Amino acid sequence: MRQIILQGLEQVYSKLVHMIAEFLPRFLVMLIIFLFGLLVAFVLKYILRVLLRLTKLDRVSEQSGATRVLRMAHLPSMSELLSRSIFWVTWVGFILVGLSVLEIASLQEQISRFFRFLPEVFVAILIMFLGVAIANFLSRTVLLAAVNAGHPSAKILSWSIRFVIWILAITMTLEELGLARQTVISAFSIVFGATMLGLAIAFGLGGQDLARKSLERYFGGTKKEEDKEPPPL
Amino acid sequence: MADDTFLADDLLRQLMSVGEVDLLVAISSLDAPNSISPAVNAIEQAFRQYFVRQRVVIVNIGASDKEDSPDGNQVDDNVVAADLGNLAVKNVHLPGIASLRTIHRVSASFSSPPSPGIALRTILAIADLLRARACAVVSPATSNLTPDSIANLLRPIYQEKFDFVAPLYTRQKYQGLLVRNLLYPMSRAVFGCGIRELFSDELGFSGRLAASCLNQEVWQEEAIRARPEGWMAISAFSSDFRCCQVFLGEKSQPRKGSAKDIVEVLRQTVGTLLWCLESQQSFWLDRDKLQPVPTIGTAHELTSETTDLDRHRIFEMFQSGVTELEPILSSILDPETHSEIKSLVSLEEAKFRFRSDLWVRTLYDFAASYHHAVINRNHLIQALTPLYRGMTHSFLAEHADSSPAEMEAANEMLCVEFELQKAYLREKWKAKVEVKS
Repeated sequence: MRQIILQGLEQVYSKLVHMIAEFLPRFLVMLIIFLFGLLVAFVLKYILRVLLRLTKLDRVSEQSGATRVLRMAHLPSMSELLSRSIFWVTWVGFILVGLSVLEIASLQEQISRFFRFLPEVFVAILIMFLGVAIANFLSRTVLLAAVNAGHPSAKILSWSIRFVIWILAITMTLEELGLARQTVISAFSIVFGATMLGLAIAFGLGGQDLARKSLERYFGGTKKEEDKEPPPL
Repeated sequence: MADDTFLADDLLRQLMSVGEVDLLVAISSLDAPNSISPAVNAIEQAFRQYFVRQRVVIVNIGASDKEDSPDGNQVDDNVVAADLGNLAVKNVHLPGIASLRTIHRVSASFSSPPSPGIALRTILAIADLLRARACAVVSPATSNLTPDSIANLLRPIYQEKFDFVAPLYTRQKYQGLLVRNLLYPMSRAVFGCGIRELFSDELGFSGRLAASCLNQEVWQEEAIRARPEGWMAISAFSSDFRCCQVFLGEKSQPRKGSAKDIVEVLRQTVGTLLWCLESQQSFWLDRDKLQPVPTIGTAHELTSETTDLDRHRIFEMFQSGVTELEPILSSILDPETHSEIKSLVSLEEAKFRFRSDLWVRTLYDFAASYHHAVINRNHLIQALTPLYRGMTHSFLAEHADSSPAEMEAANEMLCVEFELQKAYLREKWKAKVEVKS
């Protein structure tokens, strides 16, 4: 009996030693990969930061209004954000490669799924960025045009445009990520449809005077705005 | 060597039959396509009375068949052709005065109305190909175009060897406020260029200047396509071409309802001026000299007129504009300038005055922000509109009872203010703009 127990313990011990002997080099390889990844990520971050500064991306971002949105969300400038993103993406990539060295079956499946998902994440980020930039540009265009034409609801018009484009961009982003596709499409249809119907009803009921004035102005019934101002040239 | 490849074959054929000329007068009939007859008559008479021995050509730049013109009229090519074709017949009715040379006529038609930049480029290319010594551009929209005014545009170039002739007009009291409060004083202070009418439908230039302008790589720029005259004047001045101003008489008033949208005018004129600041910074950044431009004939004149302008509406639009555009203005203006403008919004209309030093600082902030491209440049210029309205209101209130002489003195003081604050523009222009993280 005692002999059997000792034999069992001996087997377990030798297995444990064998496992540790197998695991320890892999673990060390993983740590080396982590450290190497950290170094590569730092280098890439630095190179990208320099390149983005040379291409004056921050200026483009400022012009398109994207920087203002980033500031509102307490995020750094566009070039800093992209540099940090590349740092984390690179390092996380190396971490996952390092983890795969451990040869844990379930973890490897998750890692390969993550790598398959990565391009979609990039496309989703791009869609979101373009959406924000376009929304800001168009809403500012509408705001300026409406204010300069003396329109009484310039800010509402501007925010409506921004809201619609944001909703569209968010929907497309979620669609790209494949998150709750049916729900997202249904929600978008409902929100967009309801907004348009609401605007149509509001204009029909509340904007009769505005519509009449616009038509009168269009067909020359009343003085144009520019006729009330001295000729500039 | 001029780039003549963009000229149509038909036009080149017409030019080859003309040969070389001494004088060229171009009619830019884009704004008033159906009324070139008075302009053509005036040019004809000018040639017969003042340039009898010279080889001359009249060039019409317009849109071809049945295209919609900017004022909604239809352009009829037949009308243009008839107007140009009738000239020979009209010679008969002027006994004793006849040109010794054939008056050539060339018509450049475009399938759709060309931009003013394309129209001017075509005129310059024609002038260069025909080796014209003196050229003038006139607009049929100018109702009081006379043979004398055309001769006045051509003579300084042909006889006195000037290279650029800008017009001077008698203006009504409240006409041309953008010219008086922004374009003239700012260009004078920045470039040292005393040309009063930078953006005018009439101008004269030498063949030498035409060739020089034609060879510049600017014709695809939006600012040049929209309003090239100001650039041409500044370009001539900064390249040491000889410039002068001639008095042409009364400036015609735009017909009621035909006036261009104020935002459009600002985009075209201020946009071009700021573009010139950007593209010619090496010329003006270290320059303080004001170089007077000789004036031929009467100097600039003002007449007193009554007005039915809606001052209250202008003030309301200033108030709402500054309030609603606050986030945009905050990214353009210096914080101190912005807070001073915001404090003006709360004033009562009767007490409201846009001080000239604040106006100058505002414009210099806009110029620096344009240079640093803090927001889209088109948006930036549009954001100036409410502030220009504020200045306009202030001007109308301040000069309601002023005599033309008093207004002229006030304008001179504004010019001096622009010159005094040029150091501020330099400082802002050279400052590095850090995008906040």
